[in-house]
Amino acid sequence: MVKGYEVVIGLETHAELNTESKIYCDCKNQFGLEVNSQVCPVCMGMPGALPTLNEKVVDYAIKMGHALNCKINRVCKQDRKNYFYPDLPKAYQISQAEVPLCENGYVDILVDGEERRIGVTRIHIEEDAGKLLHSDKFDGCSLVDLNRCGVPLIEIVSEPDMRSSAEAKAYLETLKSILQYLGICDCKMEQGSIRCDVNVSVHKPGEPLGTRSEMKNVNSFSAAVRGIDYEVNRQIEILENGGRVEQETRRWDDVKGESVSMRSKEDAQDYRYFPEPDLLTIVVDEERVNALKNEIPELPNTKLLRYVRKFGLSQKEATFIAESAELAALFDGCMAKGKYPAKAYATWLLGDFIKYLNDTGKSVSDTCLDADNLTELVGLIEKGTISNAGGKKIFAVIIEKKEDVAALVDKLGLAQVSDSSALEAIADEVLAANEKSVSDYKNGKTNALGYLVGQCMKASKGKANPGMMKEIILKKLG
Amino acid sequence: MNIDIRHIAKLARLRIEDDQFEKFEKEMQNIVDMVENLPDIDEELALDENDPMTLREDCAVTDKYTRQELMANAPQVKAGCLVVPKTVE
Amino acid sequence: MELYGKNAAELSAMLKNREISSVELTESVFRRIDETEEKINAYVTLDRENALKSAAEIDARRAAGEELSPLAGIVMGIKDNISTKGLATTCASKMLADYKPPFNATVMDKLAAAGVVVAGKLNMDEFAMGSSTETSYFKPTKNPYDTDRIPGGSSGGSAAAVAAGEAVLALGSDTGGSIRQPAAYCGVVGLKPTYGAVSRFGLVAFASSLDQIGPIGKTVEDVAMLQTAICGHDRMDATSARREYPDYFRGLENNAQGLKIGIPKEYFGDGIDGEVKQKIMDAVKLLEKNGASVKEISLPSADYALSSYYIISSAEASSNLARYDGVRYGYRAENYDGLIDMYEKTRSEGFGDEVKRRIMLGTFVLSSGFFDAYYKKAKLLQRRISAEFSDAFGEVDVIATPTVPTTAFRIGENTDDPLKMYATDICTVTVNIAGLPALSVPCGCDSKGLPVGLQLIGGKFTEQRLLNAAYTYEHLRGGFPAAVI
Repeated sequence: MVKGYEVVIGLETHAELNTESKIYCDCKNQFGLEVNSQVCPVCMGMPGALPTLNEKVVDYAIKMGHALNCKINRVCKQDRKNYFYPDLPKAYQISQAEVPLCENGYVDILVDGEERRIGVTRIHIEEDAGKLLHSDKFDGCSLVDLNRCGVPLIEIVSEPDMRSSAEAKAYLETLKSILQYLGICDCKMEQGSIRCDVNVSVHKPGEPLGTRSEMKNVNSFSAAVRGIDYEVNRQIEILENGGRVEQETRRWDDVKGESVSMRSKEDAQDYRYFPEPDLLTIVVDEERVNALKNEIPELPNTKLLRYVRKFGLSQKEATFIAESAELAALFDGCMAKGKYPAKAYATWLLGDFIKYLNDTGKSVSDTCLDADNLTELVGLIEKGTISNAGGKKIFAVIIEKKEDVAALVDKLGLAQVSDSSALEAIADEVLAANEKSVSDYKNGKTNALGYLVGQCMKASKGKANPGMMKEIILKKLG
Repeated sequence: MNIDIRHIAKLARLRIEDDQFEKFEKEMQNIVDMVENLPDIDEELALDENDPMTLREDCAVTDKYTRQELMANAPQVKAGCLVVPKTVE
Repeated sequence: MELYGKNAAELSAMLKNREISSVELTESVFRRIDETEEKINAYVTLDRENALKSAAEIDARRAAGEELSPLAGIVMGIKDNISTKGLATTCASKMLADYKPPFNATVMDKLAAAGVVVAGKLNMDEFAMGSSTETSYFKPTKNPYDTDRIPGGSSGGSAAAVAAGEAVLALGSDTGGSIRQPAAYCGVVGLKPTYGAVSRFGLVAFASSLDQIGPIGKTVEDVAMLQTAICGHDRMDATSARREYPDYFRGLENNAQGLKIGIPKEYFGDGIDGEVKQKIMDAVKLLEKNGASVKEISLPSADYALSSYYIISSAEASSNLARYDGVRYGYRAENYDGLIDMYEKTRSEGFGDEVKRRIMLGTFVLSSGFFDAYYKKAKLLQRRISAEFSDAFGEVDVIATPTVPTTAFRIGENTDDPLKMYATDICTVTVNIAGLPALSVPCGCDSKGLPVGLQLIGGKFTEQRLLNAAYTYEHLRGGFPAAVI
């Protein structure tokens, strides 16, 4: 609720698929190459050129459909969406209108610790358009680069199920991590590999839904948040001033932080959709649909919920681990041993390990860390065999080399003294040598305890189990 | 059925000059009258599962054409790009 | 007889036996072009130099003992909507007057592999929209049997060139009758293959779900020979059928025994000229006398075919022709103010009236609120029409009808009345709507000396049976008088 209004948000998300070739021709599907170098008669819309559908595009879209719990329409078709624009060479986009490849799904997301289910209306396949280049130097002209024409896209249309910009952001981040898990999209936001259109309306609770506006040109998740917040406030302001929200398409300008009207409902475009006659019906075997389903791993949003619910991790910890497929696999491997609490692993993975990966630029699989050596290390600390500080020394070694953890304890001389009689002997010695501190403590200067424990540790050359040492000193001080 | 010639022309990005308009409108009207007499059929257009499409293997082929070849027919080219009147962005 | 007057089958044998060279044949055809082209206007572009060069290459390969295809060295004309790499492909439109494709249509690659010599590109109705070749931006083509009359269309240049001896064979394209109708008017044989039998890759689209490239020749043999060379699956065309095709030329059989011919009463109604009707019935009787059986059948939805055809073809055309916007290729208006103005001026100046009418009709039937009443209904009727044909082919092998209701009309006679022009397609469009193969074979002349065409329609992929029926009829009919120009 914002200022007494309920907010309703629906998203249309476009994700570029990372196939080898384009959707309807065998041009290379790659970003950032020289202008108009990845084109051919088909994607340039030359007279007489015909499209042929890339099978990977269908597979990837079906995978995403499974991941978002959709019904897969294994018999479907493609349609033409007709409109004129210089970045659209054929003056129609091949898309899917009536029957999308996937429909009626949902995705579970976590927002501020709360679980939310967002409906997915449909996922369909379509081709991307080219790019227009603008500059004041172009003498009142724009330049057209067609390299992006025919890059395969899936459009994921959500139900209007989101109630805040935070939910929209969580939804988008969940989609992104799923796309990454499936390995079907590069998810490079700066290259526009995920883009979205946002539909927003507001209404008073108990009243019918408000008129929605559609916002285009939202190029990052944070821009989505800013755009939604802006639009919500704009609509509320109109209503509060007794006005009416117009049904229109608006364009988000993230630099200025405002949206401007592109076109109203009256000049809404008439796309004249009709079945693409250059392509026949798409028919995917039942077996193929099932095989693709079996290829889907446990997805990050499911993992996230499991980590929070079953293992008691915080949302932040769980999200961090779940978002990286490799990290999650390592974590799950550790937990499968059923020995030590999740928190103990999470501390290592989110601490020293991430720091190491960030510093070295390595990926999880580039390191020598695995569920076995990490569990062994965690075990040594849990049992008090070594200290945390000692653990860090071992960690630094096993991350780079396959070395026996137990042997390292000896080699680095990290074994803690946990034998109480040995520790008591040290305590007696230290207390006798520090009478002043003892009396300070007894007179209420409690920080003297820390000094005494420190002296004991020093006397043990750092090998005393600090927890036990403290207990013994306290006992002896009465 | 009366058809809004100007609206349709706008959608099709065609311009019918004023002196041609009446003639064109009449011809269009005759054509639409001709095709209008179709009987109602109470059926849905089902998809034809028996005529499935063979899909293309995902393989990229590079250097099939040079940019120069593909742009040779373009009315205006600048810096390897096609040139159009400025679009409002 | 001059070489240009002979048919491809004869010439193929003569070339093979080295009685003649391809260069001699090519020179003969170009001499004929020099004599008659001024009166016929069959070609948009002539490519004499390259033709002679490839003829010489074929001769050299033959001299070197290479085994060549039956079409090697035969001189052909290509309809100007079939993409030829580096050779203008104008669709007889101002819009593409200077357009040179950077790639070959699949059929052109096939013909090149077969060693065909291409004389040039043939005139047509603009973007294949028309029935008389009068909508060509460049010039109207004349009927070789009477140069005051139209050759039919849209493949008017193709049919006229073959009839006049300006090409031994020609490729046309047929969306609603555009091969068969001009073949009938010009006294030649034209085959519209089953949809999907010949690759459309490189054929500039008019109506994608109906367009098919096909052969035009003087005889059934010639057409069978060319069809064998151009058909086949093409992975570049998703609508291309995956199947094996026979050698139609070798498969030809002269035998009417057991052939079951269906006569659909709906195609012999009041709109059909009396003389035409008589010629068709004479042809059918001739086959019957020689062992065929004849049966009256009914195709009741035929009445709706023309409307369905104009809705579907125009809808697809409105979308297919939207790409001509003056950006990547083709005509661009000289003066304009901004993007929209450039689009509108380019398209209004670049397209002729008939093309504009079809684009407008197609845009209308697809526009919001009208889709169900027009496009969807037409598609449903298309299925009904196809089903009626399927039923009919359960009873008969081929269906015989007139190709066109009348013989060739005078130039300018129908240009002011689009509906009258559209009506000439009434017998041919159903075939495209149902995706079937059909051919037109000359079956005599009317009292004005103008050719009449017999249309034979077959079930999907029964080209061989269709060609055999026409081949048999051709033998029974005897020689056909050549056009005197």
